[in-house]
Amino acid sequence: MISVARNYLVFLGRCARVAFVGDWRYYAWMGLLTACCLFGLNAYCQQLVHGLASTGMSDEVSWGVYIANFTFLVGVAAAAVMMVIPVYIYGNEEMHDLVIFGELLAVAAICMCLAFVTVDLGRPDRFWHLIPGIGQMNFPASMLSWDVIVLNGYLLLNVYICGYLLYCRYQKKKPSKWFYIPFVFVAIVWAISIHTVTAFLYVGLGGRPFWNSAIVGPRFLASAFTAGPALIILALQVVRRVTASAHPAGHARESGENSVTAPREAHLGDLELLAHHLPELASVPLEDRQKSLIGATVWEVAKGDILLRQGATDDGAFFVLSGRVVVEREEGGRTRITRSAGPGDQFGEVSALTGTPRVATATAEEHTVVLRLSAVALRALMQSPKMNEIVHSRMSERLMITDRGLLMLRGIVQVSMLINVFLLANEVFKEFYSGNLHVASAKYLFIGLHGHYALVPWIWTAIALNLIAMTLLVLPLSRSLKWLNVACVLCIIGIWIEKGMGLVLPGFTPTPLGAIVEYTPSLNETLICLGIWAMGLLLYTIFLRMAVPILQGRLSKDNEGKAGDRRLETGISLQESSA
Amino acid sequence: MTLPTPPPDKTSDRAMSRRSFLRGSAAVGGLTALAASLSPLRELSDFTSTDQFLQKYYKELTPDDMTKVINRIEGDVQRQYGIRPHVRDLKPMDGVEFVYCLNLTRCIGCRKCVHACVAENNQSRNPEIQYIRVLKLPHGSLDLEKADHHYAPESVPEKGFFYMPVQCQQCKNPPCVKVCPVNATWQESDGITVIDYDWCIGCRYCEAACPYFARRFNFAKPEIPKDNINPNMAYLGNRPRKMGVMEKCHFCIQRTRVGRYPACLEVCPVGARKFGNILDPESEVSYILREKRVFIQLKEEIGTSPRFFYYFDK
Repeated sequence: MISVARNYLVFLGRCARVAFVGDWRYYAWMGLLTACCLFGLNAYCQQLVHGLASTGMSDEVSWGVYIANFTFLVGVAAAAVMMVIPVYIYGNEEMHDLVIFGELLAVAAICMCLAFVTVDLGRPDRFWHLIPGIGQMNFPASMLSWDVIVLNGYLLLNVYICGYLLYCRYQKKKPSKWFYIPFVFVAIVWAISIHTVTAFLYVGLGGRPFWNSAIVGPRFLASAFTAGPALIILALQVVRRVTASAHPAGHARESGENSVTAPREAHLGDLELLAHHLPELASVPLEDRQKSLIGATVWEVAKGDILLRQGATDDGAFFVLSGRVVVEREEGGRTRITRSAGPGDQFGEVSALTGTPRVATATAEEHTVVLRLSAVALRALMQSPKMNEIVHSRMSERLMITDRGLLMLRGIVQVSMLINVFLLANEVFKEFYSGNLHVASAKYLFIGLHGHYALVPWIWTAIALNLIAMTLLVLPLSRSLKWLNVACVLCIIGIWIEKGMGLVLPGFTPTPLGAIVEYTPSLNETLICLGIWAMGLLLYTIFLRMAVPILQGRLSKDNEGKAGDRRLETGISLQESSA
Repeated sequence: MTLPTPPPDKTSDRAMSRRSFLRGSAAVGGLTALAASLSPLRELSDFTSTDQFLQKYYKELTPDDMTKVINRIEGDVQRQYGIRPHVRDLKPMDGVEFVYCLNLTRCIGCRKCVHACVAENNQSRNPEIQYIRVLKLPHGSLDLEKADHHYAPESVPEKGFFYMPVQCQQCKNPPCVKVCPVNATWQESDGITVIDYDWCIGCRYCEAACPYFARRFNFAKPEIPKDNINPNMAYLGNRPRKMGVMEKCHFCIQRTRVGRYPACLEVCPVGARKFGNILDPESEVSYILREKRVFIQLKEEIGTSPRFFYYFDK
């Protein structure tokens, strides 16, 4: 028990250390975010001293940008987890690692949500009044108490799922389905609930006709499933870019091809050594093991030697006996580490099993001994169900952000955007065609009311951005990442306006007694928002910083003792570290 | 095969000390920046005391607790305003349900009720907080969007208009109570919806929920001139509020629960306001609701069922 706790603490400690290591770009980015956070904190201290009078809010418009951002981010958090569906329900392997990035985004988004609600409170010192047991929670009557429960529950769920999966990957253990699949399904339902409950915060108010409409909930979900995956598409490309080095793979070692010191024939002792690191091998009958040695060789290589090269057409599979091998994939002139293989790990099995050309280049990271099996021998070993399972599960453990995965997300954004625009059109029709007294808020939003036009340019900008984004998404043009990115940026901004300010402010204008009071966020309020966004980005960057090397296999339990070489842990590519 | 280039030498002592120097200065710089960003907190006056911070919910206070809390509040008011108030925790009376009736034919829009309310209920003068909003409406319409909130003619009433004062309607089905996440506001047995100012977290959800614009938030620290303090105070009524909490009309709990009329009624120069116990068939309000043919519950369609009735004489 103690050793379990100790192992976990070591894991957390190493993750935390990784967050402080990086190249100058990383430090500059983190420094910038930290500075923004501090500006935000300073502004919040001002607000604590002078009260919410330091914001642009009033009794007439009693919620502003804080709650607008909160609403938007709940959507991002909800949508981030919905990525899970294609992976677990449709078994789409391309998106496997994307799920963890999605859930980490959900965690960061929920932290921002909680921060936005907190800064909106008049008495943050009394937050404990909300805690059941010591405080008073008006459950189930108040939708806000529901929101407190679902948001915090969602945070815990996602922290648990990400934490568990990453810790398993760190230990190179296969996650036990019972420990996470039920939670994943709960998280999917929960994701819908957080956004529905947030919509109900507004929908439940009979005195505010602009919000008191059944379509607000579905609109929330549609816009969330547009903006959330759009944000992930962009974030994943950033991850892909910063985890890649600018040089093509093996560039530094062009002459080192096939530089293997006298391969020798493999014998049973080598398999026993492998079984030491790969216990599943013991399940293979001795006879089959002996057969698999036909044509098998043992290679002993020095640091920097290339074991196999992307695009080559040989078909052997490799197991590491000692040392470490980094597997890198070249795409569009950049190299990305897809995994790092230590003793007992396999590489090159994809070509061995499928007969396709090599999908990546494998280079020894240190003095390394590997066992090379023929494709036939690998298949023979995989006759054993245990071996079959472990080889397959490790095949899916590569950190691959493929274009196909991104285009899968495009499909989600595309459909959601169409539904979103359709629902908006429904809302506009209902408001304006019937033309009853309650159209005032919609008029204020879309065409201005009694000489007040504050929101009109904003909402039309949002509608224009959404329509352009929708057109781009529908056209085949957006199958190229360049245009897809443009569409994503447009729909994120469009939805942020439409759903944030475009939803919150018209609900308050005119007031229930017919007065029109316009709201403009104050500078202090804007700085606080900026600070919270910076905090969210900071958190997400840190999460990715920790997750990427774990997913690549560079930060794992088997290299715990060698923590000295930080550059290895953090995934700065081999070329840069040896240059 | 090419041998790999040897890695750079083991970090030399100089590089090591340079690194620890950089690390140290980054830490010092970070802490300084953190301290600088927290510096506005030095101006934080009247920091919440431990007693205040840990104070229990109104309905969980024992009589002993209540005595202590009231003593503390009286002490605080005396320190701040130089006058010892008389704070009481007045409970609703049995067999009483308060109802307000307002005669729209009589109201002349003088706003005397607004100002009497401010004085009676120790409302902040800066920023200004008022519980009553008087609307000027053109004859023949109850469309609130046509209401003028800021009319300021030489004299009232003006021809062609009528005036409608709006304050908390003390709904039988109050949306503000339903939405409060911490039960800081509730309806008492005499029909008055009250707020525990020491329990409210200031989320302003009730303000968004109220269909009558009846709730007010203390966006800044309330300011009341020392000689304008009304020392006759009720715990759930007109005791001074703090920054960051909600407040609203409570039918002058400090007066009506001891048998007096609300301040807005007493000051009304034309007798437009009527107040009383609907459970008493002999009361004035019972008579009005029985005998007057037309009366209005504002926004009846929302289902809030107000205890505030507007009626006409003719």
